[in-house]
Amino acid sequence: MLEQTVAKKALPGSDSIFRQQYPNQTTFLAYPNLTSPAVYFRGYLPVGSVSDPAGKNGLANLNAAMLSTGTDKHNFRQLHEIIESCGASISLSAGSLSTVFSGQCLKEDFSLILELLLEILSQPAYPQNHLERLQQQLATVFRIQAQHTGEMASQAFDRQFYREHPYAHPELGYAHTVKTISTEDLRAFHQNFFGPKGLVLAVSGGIDPQTSAHLFDQIFSAWQVPEQELQQELPPWQPLPQQLREHVPVAEKSQSDLIIGTIAPTGMSEEYQICTLGNNILGQFGMMGRIGESVRERSGLAYYAGSTLEVGLGPSAWKIAAGVNPDNLDRAISKILEEIKRFIQEPVSQSELSDVKEQALGSLPISLETNAGIVRYLLSLQRYNLSLDYLRELPEVLKTISAEDILTIARRYWDMDRLVIASAGREL
Amino acid sequence: MVEYPILNNHKQDPKFYSLANGLRVALKQIQTAPIVSSWLWYGIGSRNEVPGKTGLSHWVEHMQFKGTKNFSGQEMENTIARTGGYTNAFTSPDWTAYFQTLPSSALETSLRFEADRMVNSLFDPEEVETERTVILSEREGNENDPQFLLGELVQQAAYQNHPYRNEVLGSKEDLINLSREDLYQHYRNYYQPNNAMVCLAGYFDENQAFDLIEKYFGSLPSFPITWSIPVEEEEITDAKTVELIGPEDANFIQIAWRSPKASDPDFFAYTLIESILSGPSSLNMFGSGGIGNRSSRLYRELIENQLAASVNGSLSASIDPGTYTLYITCRGDHSPEDVITKLNQVVDQLLTKPPSQNELDIALKQARANFAYSSDNITNQAFWMGYASSFADYSWFKDYVNRLQAVSVEDILRVSRKYFDPAHRVTGVYRSRNGASYA
Repeated sequence: MLEQTVAKKALPGSDSIFRQQYPNQTTFLAYPNLTSPAVYFRGYLPVGSVSDPAGKNGLANLNAAMLSTGTDKHNFRQLHEIIESCGASISLSAGSLSTVFSGQCLKEDFSLILELLLEILSQPAYPQNHLERLQQQLATVFRIQAQHTGEMASQAFDRQFYREHPYAHPELGYAHTVKTISTEDLRAFHQNFFGPKGLVLAVSGGIDPQTSAHLFDQIFSAWQVPEQELQQELPPWQPLPQQLREHVPVAEKSQSDLIIGTIAPTGMSEEYQICTLGNNILGQFGMMGRIGESVRERSGLAYYAGSTLEVGLGPSAWKIAAGVNPDNLDRAISKILEEIKRFIQEPVSQSELSDVKEQALGSLPISLETNAGIVRYLLSLQRYNLSLDYLRELPEVLKTISAEDILTIARRYWDMDRLVIASAGREL
Repeated sequence: MVEYPILNNHKQDPKFYSLANGLRVALKQIQTAPIVSSWLWYGIGSRNEVPGKTGLSHWVEHMQFKGTKNFSGQEMENTIARTGGYTNAFTSPDWTAYFQTLPSSALETSLRFEADRMVNSLFDPEEVETERTVILSEREGNENDPQFLLGELVQQAAYQNHPYRNEVLGSKEDLINLSREDLYQHYRNYYQPNNAMVCLAGYFDENQAFDLIEKYFGSLPSFPITWSIPVEEEEITDAKTVELIGPEDANFIQIAWRSPKASDPDFFAYTLIESILSGPSSLNMFGSGGIGNRSSRLYRELIENQLAASVNGSLSASIDPGTYTLYITCRGDHSPEDVITKLNQVVDQLLTKPPSQNELDIALKQARANFAYSSDNITNQAFWMGYASSFADYSWFKDYVNRLQAVSVEDILRVSRKYFDPAHRVTGVYRSRNGASYA
């Protein structure tokens, strides 16, 4: 019992996680790792590619890239010389729902890097020459992607899976839309959506939370944007009408990529935990679970074959993916469909269930081994509105999940007649 | 047990021992979380393979997950997975390593499995055949990437005979022809305590951990190893160009120069040259990413000047002289020749005058930061104990920042002139068959 108490206390919880919301509606989270000489940070603003205007797909992503090309105070060279000369990094990218920023620095440089982060987010200069440069670079990326079987299979999956939903579009946009984006488009996007409202920053490393929170408050409380708009709510995802199949031919490739998927639960609900255990049995545990055992270990059809359960505030997918020789594509699809059928026809065995429960509990401290792992967890707490004691409470939640619960959930989410099967590689 | 004479005078330092059978042991206590990272390193990689038998080391690594006399492969995998830990293995030109990062309470499980598969792996003929298609599939996945195909050609041109010229995965031809006996002989010859090192980092009692290592590995016999040791190749013999034409709708360039072996004192100056030229390499194999390269000379000249879409460099610490390679993706509006011309100007500058002290100081600060990030997680700390020991000893890693700080701007110029001679490099170009327009 004592050991359990100690182990529980070793996990981050309400007595060790710092969380504070400020009057300008920013939120700061921190967890100490005082033996670390460095600090890792990650955060987001709640605006992403779903806010791209019609015909301007890729605007949120291009905006994220443009933010670090210069500010009102520092041009591109000055900015990156300051960041890199102290061995730090600041990266920005846009997802569907948010613009994400992350980086790391030595703890002595944290204040400087925080100031630069605010400058980058709040005072971008959008230099025309850098916009043209990035548009050209993206044009190259699009050409390379067109020959990438994994990327083409993923885009085909999203097209079929999301159809009319904004998630059907790649976050990067398209070659023909990205080249039409102007500095005026970027400025308008920034003016509408960028501000402190909804900004979240999480930090872990060698600075105690009170000190880092004080720095955050000092630097970010000055940011006020009363006219900041909030992102519109997402339309609902429409269930698949039937099984949908798309293959993208990519010539002269030795390997084809395959994705088979269905809808996943939203957020990190209790249902999500049941799906997580089920997913581990299906395509994660050991050498990629039942899928890995069937497709790779027994049949030798693929180097990689497994399943992933995406999580998000919007609709997301439960996917099985494999990389296979083009001659083996149909066999791999058959093997995977057999495993899905088994997954929804019979409950998982007690030993499988006990395996993945033990794994889930044992992996808790390991998932928090790095500063980056801790910060990702802090952001999940905030994004999905979870209790600060979520990890400490998880063992009790897991304990109650039964094989029947997994079967019920598997049947709710996997329907053999309503799957997307997407692939890319040699012509069929 | 024999305690190594190095490094044991500092509380943060690992302790080093060796068993009577020659097995080396490194223990580093880190009491931040109840987890341990347990590694077993073997001094065998593609560097020790002979023509016609490429890919043996990597394939043997795969077979180590297929079961022993005592445990099936699935049993080993599932037992580790049940602890919540994770396990993996890597094969490099110089070494093969297996690791588990798992709760401290499961340390014994890790050591028991590793000791068992050091001597008891089955290499079941049916499993060998299944794995042949898996490895061919792994290679085919890599072949989808034009940079992999170009890299293979560049590496072959960078060495006349040394096995660093071969892809670790092996050639397709060899993978089709290797037999179960080839694999088993390779395993029996090189997988022995006197060619191995156990590295533990994390939360454990040092005496208990040592006793466990002695318990599982101490009785394993060591036999003389039949070595295939290559002759070092100090320089690329001349300026070579290799070309590839393919379906990608972009052009790529790779340029490789010889780099000193990691134990050569010049390696440290070379590391700073890399930082100045293409940005610093991360020391963190398992944590968050490293430092950007936007203030590096090549980024400024190639990317800011709108000649290329991306540029990155790669330098590894190796037993024998290796290669430092640049990877460049050209933009559609410039030919590879335009990019190479500009690149040559940047390299010429490196050969004609030393960098400013400020530029060197920035590279040093970046190295110090990278070193700090590398201690971010215990898996990476265990990795470095074994990795540094594969080409030198742990003091190489421990003194890394101090050795870099001793480098002067004159050293940079001297080492640049020694290694970046344009008459001794390989230039690889992948040209789009679709004919990118350079207008």
